[in-house]
Amino acid sequence: MDRSTYSRSRRIAPIVAVAAAAALTLAGCSSSSGGKKSTEDSSGASAGKASTPRMTVALVTHQAPGDTFWDIVRKGAQAAAAKDNIKLVYSADPNAGNQSNLVQNAIDQKVDGIAVTLAKPDALKDVIAKAKTANIPVVGLNSGLSDWKKLGLLEFFGQDETVAGEALGKRLNSEGAKKAVCVIQEQGNIGLTQRCAGVKKTFTGTTEVLNVNGTDMPSVKSTITAKLTQDKAIDYVVTLGAPFAMTAVQSLADAGSKAKVATFDLNSTLTGAIKKGTVQFAVDQQPYLQGYLAVDSLWLYKNNGNYSGGGEQPVLTGPAFVDKTNVDAVAKYAANGTR
Amino acid sequence: MSMTQHAEPAVTSPPAPGPKESDGRTVERPLALRLLARPEVGVFLGAAAVYVFFLIAAPPVRDGASMANILYSSSTIGIMALPVALLMIGGEFDLSAGVAVITSALTASMLSYQLTMNVWVGVIVALLVSLGIGFLNGWMVVKTGLPSFLVTLGSFLILQGVNLAVTKLVTGNVATDDISNMDGFGQARKVFATSFDIGGVDVKITIFYWLVFAAIATWVLLRTKYGNWIFAVGGNKDSARAVGVPVAFTKISLFMLVGFGAWFIGMHQLFTFNTVQSGEGVGQELIYISAAVIGGCLLTGGAGSAIGPVFGAFMFGMVQQGIVYAGWNPDWFKAFLGVMLLGAVLINLWVQRTATRR
Amino acid sequence: MASNESGTHGAILEDTAPSDADAPIVQLRNAGKSYGNVRALHGVDLAVRPGQVTCVLGDNGAGKSTLIKIISGLHQHTEGEFLVDGGAVHLTTPRQALDRGIATVYQDLAVVPLMPVWRNFFLGSEMTKGPWPFRRLDIEKMKKTADEELRNMGIVLDNLDQPIGTLSGGQRQCVAIARAVYFGARVLILDEPTAALGVKQSGVVLKYVAAARERGLGVIFITHNPHHAYMVGDHFSVLRLGTMELSAERSEITLEELTNHMAGGTELAALKHELSQVRGLDVDELPDEEALKAPVSASPEGTV
Repeated sequence: MDRSTYSRSRRIAPIVAVAAAAALTLAGCSSSSGGKKSTEDSSGASAGKASTPRMTVALVTHQAPGDTFWDIVRKGAQAAAAKDNIKLVYSADPNAGNQSNLVQNAIDQKVDGIAVTLAKPDALKDVIAKAKTANIPVVGLNSGLSDWKKLGLLEFFGQDETVAGEALGKRLNSEGAKKAVCVIQEQGNIGLTQRCAGVKKTFTGTTEVLNVNGTDMPSVKSTITAKLTQDKAIDYVVTLGAPFAMTAVQSLADAGSKAKVATFDLNSTLTGAIKKGTVQFAVDQQPYLQGYLAVDSLWLYKNNGNYSGGGEQPVLTGPAFVDKTNVDAVAKYAANGTR
Repeated sequence: MSMTQHAEPAVTSPPAPGPKESDGRTVERPLALRLLARPEVGVFLGAAAVYVFFLIAAPPVRDGASMANILYSSSTIGIMALPVALLMIGGEFDLSAGVAVITSALTASMLSYQLTMNVWVGVIVALLVSLGIGFLNGWMVVKTGLPSFLVTLGSFLILQGVNLAVTKLVTGNVATDDISNMDGFGQARKVFATSFDIGGVDVKITIFYWLVFAAIATWVLLRTKYGNWIFAVGGNKDSARAVGVPVAFTKISLFMLVGFGAWFIGMHQLFTFNTVQSGEGVGQELIYISAAVIGGCLLTGGAGSAIGPVFGAFMFGMVQQGIVYAGWNPDWFKAFLGVMLLGAVLINLWVQRTATRR
Repeated sequence: MASNESGTHGAILEDTAPSDADAPIVQLRNAGKSYGNVRALHGVDLAVRPGQVTCVLGDNGAGKSTLIKIISGLHQHTEGEFLVDGGAVHLTTPRQALDRGIATVYQDLAVVPLMPVWRNFFLGSEMTKGPWPFRRLDIEKMKKTADEELRNMGIVLDNLDQPIGTLSGGQRQCVAIARAVYFGARVLILDEPTAALGVKQSGVVLKYVAAARERGLGVIFITHNPHHAYMVGDHFSVLRLGTMELSAERSEITLEELTNHMAGGTELAALKHELSQVRGLDVDELPDEEALKAPVSASPEGTV
């Protein structure tokens, strides 16, 4: 027995020594540039907190896990919740049936207000009616510009994906583009499909759709490169998310193409690219504003009975174009992850 | 009538046959048919058929630059398909392979950025984390005796959730921050994500790594003790254990090899695209498994090769990009992909059946 | 026996003190095994001598597989002694048993069906050549050696690359036996080798059991078929309900006695008496009590 403990400690000692040496070495390898230390401390928009009684708001969207756009919607919602002394309950599911269950869940929790996106209005019709029977005010955001009134929602904030697409299509016209390819990173996603459909509607040139595998970036890059090689007439690549725009820029180089890149939504690296000119412009639907207004409006309704739009009109949050002329103003906020 | 007998045992040893005697019952089939019966040759022919098909149907494919693009697309699948295939030959599945790639990239990126470290530190820690995840997967499979399908399904869900939640927690976003201006980034990019100009065509380095890894994997599988163990452990692990093959070591090390592959592709992704989206990787594991199965690896384990999955991955990349080069209606993209893959596999099967029937 | 060489080819045997050639290699003295409060085996005496075939017979549930698992290192005995070369041992892994020259050919054969014959032959003890890290399999040598060894045992295969699963049941058994013999087994345990085989194939296997014996191995032949046992056995032990009911040399017992013992022995005789009372049943051919006179093992636990 003694021999085994002796030999065990003999085996452990060199391992511990190596581990310690490795840890010390690693500790010394700091980076002289970049990294967290170099970014300024920016805590974003902050304000005091309201003294109204605490209320609960459920925000139910059709976000797919990890989506950047919806993450910013959520941040806006959280900012409003912090200001208004609201407990925000966020849930999401890209499947309409599941989304409707989540709304039912919120009703069962007896929340004070529900904010919901109407990607598939028919699927949510029944559960919204149940919310009204339970006297819970429901507002809409982002999707459902043409359906919110029918379904009896109180107010609507946002700007349809279709409208955003149409705006981008018109902008392409003014840029003189002749042929655009619209890159969909998740075939079957309603919001993405509506954006491309909007572009096609207003763009006077030809719009082609390209489906790519959004869960594998190298594959996205290869597929866009292939498309650019197959169709040399393409002069604009339209992507539906900031990271995909950055990948498209790499594809341009690979394919030796002179096409330009435009996209929906922003992120911090994208603003840098717009400044440099590698990406021409981005459509900003102001997701932060959508989330913020949706939550804040329920606070206003609860505490003062107000509702925007008077039950008639929606509140439009976009589209706002971000290009070289105004990117500086936005860049700081994009770096924060709130634009 | 009980008679005690002191008889010699009735059976004695048989006479040993001469050295040159042959059994004579098997007739050697012609070399060509014997080659065709090998699974690697079948998938090679399937891949060749797909290639020829697209050469005809999609003119841009004839260009060298297009081939480089297709091979790049194949290589990022192929590098992962190799350890996944070895693991399958060893009798196990790893459903967490797809998200493990992203976990590795996220680890390297977030560690380097948050601690403002030289990027290589993140790379090394990511390697340790990936090997650790592989070890955990293997250890759980071996210790519990549960099907690896279930165990790695659990780790797949855990990693998927951890990728999203930890990234949000640490960075505040769903993607990591920009590390392109940090120390070591340029060097690491040269190792993991650079490309060479060959005859005017831009060839990515992953293609070379893919072929080198495939050669090493083939040699290990067919020419080393360890390779023999892999076949045995996948074919009948109880028999293997009974004759002294270290079954636990073999299986755990195979899972760790998948971890190594995940690390490698994760690093390539990180240094190519700079930021990592935390929700990616989901669904890739099925593509790796498909490449391995198309390449002739039995789902039940114990048979397969490392060369087959090379052609399987090539077939996948070829079809995926070929559909775009051919300009077919993009709405039918997934359907085309499925039809072409089934077609290639059926060719493979038909070739094998014909070769072994005659 | 035309064999090119003998001796160990991979198994490392301990250096044992010189003993007389008749001393048992493996011996069980009053051995037993309990799983919790289930006593699977008790009071078992067994001795395996070189160049002798010891047959262990018994019906299903008698404890035969427990017995083998103890000797082959899969399980540990909980009572009595297990001696190898005269020294007491407690084997914890099959590897330990293999290292001592105890090789087991299991019913499911311990072969991997999809792998070629030569790979199976050398599984776990592959021959390698070359310096590390380029140590690779010495494939030509392994194929040649496997071919030679199989021929020495009388098996001729045209193609050693064929998956072993394509061989007939009898051939597979013989490859497994040849493998055990080659790797320096001194004791060969055969777990019901003829159980799933037809008449002709069983004959083939029995020939190779004899071949192993000729080469000086001690063989433990487990079966529930007394005819097969009697064809090759030098000593017979019958297990019943976990203990040894019979232990006899070949000179002390006939095939008929052995068969009767296996078939139920005394109970059959009692049954005969009862059945003879029933009209319409012909019990004349069944053995009488006096016919069952084979000696019983002198174990302190007694008999059933």
